[in-house]
Amino acid sequence: MMAVSVSSDLWLQVERLLPHVERPTRYIDHEWGACRRDDAAYRVALMYPDAYEVGMANQALEVLAARLQELEDVATERVFLPWVDMSAAMREAAIPLFTLESYTPVCEVDLFGITLSNELTYSNVLEALDLAGIPLRAVDRDDSHPLVIGGGPSAHNPEPMAPFFDAILIGDGEDAVQEIVASHRASIASGVTREESVHALATIEGVYVPSLYTPGSDGRCMASQPAPDRVRRRILADLDAYPAPVCPVVPYADVVHDRATVEVLRGCSRGCRFCQAGMVYRPVRERSADSIVRDAIAGLACTGYEELSLTSLSTADHSQLEPILRRLVARLEGTGTAISVPSLRMDSFTVPLARLLGNGRKSGLTFAPEAGSQRLRDAINKNITEEEVVTAVHEAFTAGWRRVKLYFMIGLPTETDEDVRAIGALVEKVLHVAREATPKGERGGLRVAVSVATFVPKAHTPFQWDGQTPIDEVRRRQRILRDSVPHRGVELSWHDPSSSLLEAALARGGREMADGIEAAWRVGARFDAWTEQFSLTRWLEAFASVGLDMTAAASTAYVQGEPLPWSHIDSGLAEKFLRLERARADSAITTPDCTFEECTGCGVCTDLGVDISIAEGGRRG
Amino acid sequence: MAEGFKLRICFRKSGRLRFLSHLETGRAWERAARRAGLPYAVSQGFTPRMRIAFGPALPVGTAGEREYLDIVLKRFIPVAEVTEVLRASVVPELGLVTCGYVPPAEGSLASRLTIAVYEVEIEGGSPQQEIERSLNALVGTGRLSVEHKGKHKVFELAKALPKKPEVRSQEGRTIVRMWVRMGEQGSLRPEVFIAAAVGPDRVVSVTRTDLLIEDQQSWRRPL
Repeated sequence: MMAVSVSSDLWLQVERLLPHVERPTRYIDHEWGACRRDDAAYRVALMYPDAYEVGMANQALEVLAARLQELEDVATERVFLPWVDMSAAMREAAIPLFTLESYTPVCEVDLFGITLSNELTYSNVLEALDLAGIPLRAVDRDDSHPLVIGGGPSAHNPEPMAPFFDAILIGDGEDAVQEIVASHRASIASGVTREESVHALATIEGVYVPSLYTPGSDGRCMASQPAPDRVRRRILADLDAYPAPVCPVVPYADVVHDRATVEVLRGCSRGCRFCQAGMVYRPVRERSADSIVRDAIAGLACTGYEELSLTSLSTADHSQLEPILRRLVARLEGTGTAISVPSLRMDSFTVPLARLLGNGRKSGLTFAPEAGSQRLRDAINKNITEEEVVTAVHEAFTAGWRRVKLYFMIGLPTETDEDVRAIGALVEKVLHVAREATPKGERGGLRVAVSVATFVPKAHTPFQWDGQTPIDEVRRRQRILRDSVPHRGVELSWHDPSSSLLEAALARGGREMADGIEAAWRVGARFDAWTEQFSLTRWLEAFASVGLDMTAAASTAYVQGEPLPWSHIDSGLAEKFLRLERARADSAITTPDCTFEECTGCGVCTDLGVDISIAEGGRRG
Repeated sequence: MAEGFKLRICFRKSGRLRFLSHLETGRAWERAARRAGLPYAVSQGFTPRMRIAFGPALPVGTAGEREYLDIVLKRFIPVAEVTEVLRASVVPELGLVTCGYVPPAEGSLASRLTIAVYEVEIEGGSPQQEIERSLNALVGTGRLSVEHKGKHKVFELAKALPKKPEVRSQEGRTIVRMWVRMGEQGSLRPEVFIAAAVGPDRVVSVTRTDLLIEDQQSWRRPL
């Protein structure tokens, strides 16, 4: 690896571009909490492959940066993808992709870590590698290039992006990032080849080295030495052993989720059959009330944020949420600080919870019934009744909220037109209950926002074998929905089904998808999560140009028992469990949550050698 | 404003932080006040907020040497102490210049501050006298009509520029100092005036060096 000189003239070059680009604050660094370590011997660039204001919201990168800052002699800096106006200006001026803190060209760091948070950022990864001057494919890189390492939720099916990475981490990163850096530093010290340093990473638990796996004719990836046959997901047993990062960088720009955050628990075993996060982050591990309150107060003091968010996949499920909120409300009284609890389950939104959250500044309130009919909610194992929906809305509006947002999905397996119409009926009922609970004079400002996504089947879920509902059919069902949802007092919005089609193809496909991704990037695909930048036609044509059918990749079902592109990734879930859950979906039979009732046999605890960890001990409820 | 102690803060927006927008600058200072642990007052109502108010907006890319904000404190804290905690809570490029208490009945910064002083650096090439001649010639025409974001505005220059611009040379750079009157109809942007006088694309940088209150024919700083 070459020695790194901190490039002050790179800033001067960038500065000249800033008066001419949108939102220059994306590129200036110098935020509160940003830190540099110019003399570090080992340099890491951590990237969220999207615009600054999206990437700065990512908690995982904050956690990983904090873990890397603990290491001696290691500098960790942030990278985001410059917006299209800036990347054009950078190419024109021959300015390479840079890290924010020290304006070091990314191609000069030792390790380039990239979050794979969702499939719609895949083209951004290629754009970033190209802007950095790093060859897109791992096979074309040499000793002068950084190791390119991925990780994050979408990595659970790593194959579509596999050729672009030297290694991909599957699962929790807190310990693994430190081990990866240690391994690479040891390799550098002993002077081994790039190939040998990459292979050494394969011996770290949770690290997938794509070059050591060859897709066979049946689709199964075969491992060669020293890689294991199946890469076992990395997992932390005890979250309390890892304090939340309390002094993250505080942005100037108006970013998504601009607030202090504390992760209160990891994992969710409610068992929604469509939900990848609920499957691959098992088991539930709660942090203790004391450490949550401690980190929340310290985080607010260090950042100066006016809002605190208690994050997780299902925060209201935390066994100690009420006492935690009571303590926080008492500490924050009179400071104008709002507390928000995203991902609320409607069956856990109780009267005391509504009162606690309604105290002080109210943040938005969002619930996800996901489906309109009880039958479909049972088929997807949402485990919510209409009565619970109605009660939650009643409590919220009685406690003073005037706006609620509801998430639904269409295109779910087993869905019929009747189920789609049921969404309209449920929204109508919610609107009625909200009106009844609101004093007459205040009903004018009452709003029910309804956001409808298209179902995307994901790896490691009971619906992993299902193909996505074809786009024309999705559009037909959207029309049914539009006609059945009341207009007054309701704000209806959709996710664009054409980007959901891309998401499905990239979530379900194998390594061959990489050619399609590269072809699409070559004809200009990037920022696909931004409606004004996304073009389905561009993707379809790019896929066709390399002999791939994107529509088929999204909608063709897999046969149970045959190898899947992600069969070599061991998330801990037993295939037997996923098959049983799929069968139960067809019969609309629900499966309970193992943190409240008995073990459901998903296999994670035994396979990965961990256990459910509830703050109070024992089970919930 | 009602009861409480009205603390007036003078701060800079400098270096690369000149690229902050007015909204971003405001948010950054609110957070700095929270980090500093100031006993700020909070508004009543559905969404309680910090009682903080800012002076006139500074455009993205324009630096400011003496910008202002008012914040209402629930308790009196000696100025020396406020200075110390704020210096430790905000990045240097957005740092505190000075602060002090003003009477609670003092009008808002937005309404009291009516004169802005700017320094505009013009790229080299023309002699000082030539620039002076061009500026005077434009002022002599009496009016300047400006297109901004599709809107058409006419400025009466005698009113918009209450004092004659001054030109000086400093280390090979040409700097124009301008006094601009701010009003409800908006104020003349210094770079627009300079471009109209000496031609486009010659402004290197714009810095607002002072904001003043007009009191019976005399000008004074708000602190």
